[in-house]
Amino acid sequence: MVAVVGQREAVPCRAAGHMRYRRRPTPLHAARAGAAASYCLALMACAVLFDSPLVLGALLLAVMLAARAARSGRELLRVLPYVGGLALTAAVLNPLFSHQGLTVIARLGHLPGVGEIDLTLEAVVFGAVAGLKLLVFTLAFALMGAAVDPDELLRAARRVSFRSALTASLATRMWTVLERDARRLAEAQRCRFDAFDPAAMTRRVRVSRGIGVVRAVATGALDRAVDVAATLELRGYAGAHRPPRRRRRWSRQDLAFAAGAAGIIAVAAASRAAGVGDFGAYPTLYLAAGVRELALAVALVTVALLPFTQRRGVQRGAGP
Amino acid sequence: MRGSPHPPPGGRRHSAAAAVLLITLLGGCGLGPGPTPGGVRLTVTDDFGSRLIYAGARPRISGQDTVMRLLQRNASVTTRYGGGFVQSIDGRAGGQIGGRPIDWFYYVNGIEASVGAASTTLHAGDRIWWDRHDWGATMDTPAVVGSFPEPFARVDGGQPMPIRVECEQPAGAACQLVSARLGALGAHASRSSLGAGAAAPAVRVLVGRWQAVRADPTAAALERGPAASGVYLRPDRSGSTLTVLDAAGRAAGVLRTGSGLVAATRAGDAAPVWLISGTDSVGVSAAAGAFDERDLHGHFALALSGGRRLSVPEVGG
Repeated sequence: MVAVVGQREAVPCRAAGHMRYRRRPTPLHAARAGAAASYCLALMACAVLFDSPLVLGALLLAVMLAARAARSGRELLRVLPYVGGLALTAAVLNPLFSHQGLTVIARLGHLPGVGEIDLTLEAVVFGAVAGLKLLVFTLAFALMGAAVDPDELLRAARRVSFRSALTASLATRMWTVLERDARRLAEAQRCRFDAFDPAAMTRRVRVSRGIGVVRAVATGALDRAVDVAATLELRGYAGAHRPPRRRRRWSRQDLAFAAGAAGIIAVAAASRAAGVGDFGAYPTLYLAAGVRELALAVALVTVALLPFTQRRGVQRGAGP
Repeated sequence: MRGSPHPPPGGRRHSAAAAVLLITLLGGCGLGPGPTPGGVRLTVTDDFGSRLIYAGARPRISGQDTVMRLLQRNASVTTRYGGGFVQSIDGRAGGQIGGRPIDWFYYVNGIEASVGAASTTLHAGDRIWWDRHDWGATMDTPAVVGSFPEPFARVDGGQPMPIRVECEQPAGAACQLVSARLGALGAHASRSSLGAGAAAPAVRVLVGRWQAVRADPTAAALERGPAASGVYLRPDRSGSTLTVLDAAGRAAGVLRTGSGLVAATRAGDAAPVWLISGTDSVGVSAAAGAFDERDLHGHFALALSGGRRLSVPEVGG
């Protein structure tokens, strides 16, 4: 029942958190953390650079296909309801509170404290594009969480800033510890007989139940601290100094994903400089949608997926 | 209470509140841009009206536009703070210029707007005036004369307001001339002696020598300068001189005998007060003579001396 804190679980846990790195036999997992993270960050940067729904749509396709190729589609689908909800909120709220845009599609009257609420086509489109942007950015980040080894990434960060890496390690590890604690406590609480009888849940019972939960958390804290300390020691934090550089030959996956990241950034930067993929919502809609934009969309998807063709040696190096 | 045929009193109160909110929300709602108001005019100027950037008797307008949308349809506009604040019009931006704070302000029917342009809905016949100017001397210029014949046809919000002409000499030529000009506009103005008007809110036009007019508290604010009145012209207590100020609030010239002024100010949210005044009866007559659209158009206030018309504030160059 009790897993060793911080260590990678070999068996997938049904009740595990939504975002969990699991080593899989795919090119993205096989690539070194630096290259794989750069690849995901390049996709995220692209989502920041462009406002065009055409380009963002192409990026969304690229991220979803990349997740599928990295066999992390399920992880992305798990976060989709949350991210989708956020994106939808942005899309719905923007037209209600934005006073910009010239094409009024509906007048919702006067709201005290807010003034006249006129829905404009431009504000609706801008909100939808902002939602799409958020969706692409967050899914690319989720891909990084699912396919890039966080320990390897933190090990690399430790060479740059020891204390920051330690803090990040603590934060990431403590999150999983607390998550497990909460789940265990919740399960124990659900199993109590009076949980099935809401009438028995008086205020006094609720307070006493709450005190019991706090006591359980407090008494378990020392055990958890020992677990975390052991985990950190295993990860090389026992000696408070910068770890030595690890010499490791660049694999074909390392090179492919590093080149993929550079390619995505190069295509995006060149397109921005050339004015390809322009989009403006205010005061009236403007969308550049020609051959150049189509070429940009195809180029981004192609460059993003090319590194996944490097499959040689992946199976051998992959863990469970 | 389950199954009770009568809702609790609290629930009834909530329903009533929800209904009021719904009615408030639905007031003026509908699909599409709505009916387009006619006769709207748009003027865009720089430096207290001294340089014309755009003047349109028939600007592009669509449906129940706001002042912001009207401006954006007719000029190149950049905004800040979520589209609620105009930063630049046709490349002329607000900010610090030569160490002085300069920004865009707008007036609806000669009255400075108290809310953002994106929240002000247009009405038929509205005169919208955008001006970029130095606000170092005062942030508020509550009323201007350059949108004449407004606000005598209506006041911001589309509702006509009563007009009262208060004169030092109700039977005098200046008072009759001002009343006649208002009558020619179709406005129904009552006439009384200074300070004898009814307490009911009205757009007031005070006609008389400064010595007499200054008894009115709103008019007397001019003696305290632009920070108090928004008018860049300062009469002295005796009414013998009128000091014309520049945009920074410094004295730019002093007008003496035979000088007049046409200015507008406002106390708080009250209706504007227009001043047709002067150092003496000659000045008052000159000011009354300038009480028309041709003379007042595009001026924040007007000073008259020796047959000359001086735009107020004094703008160099």
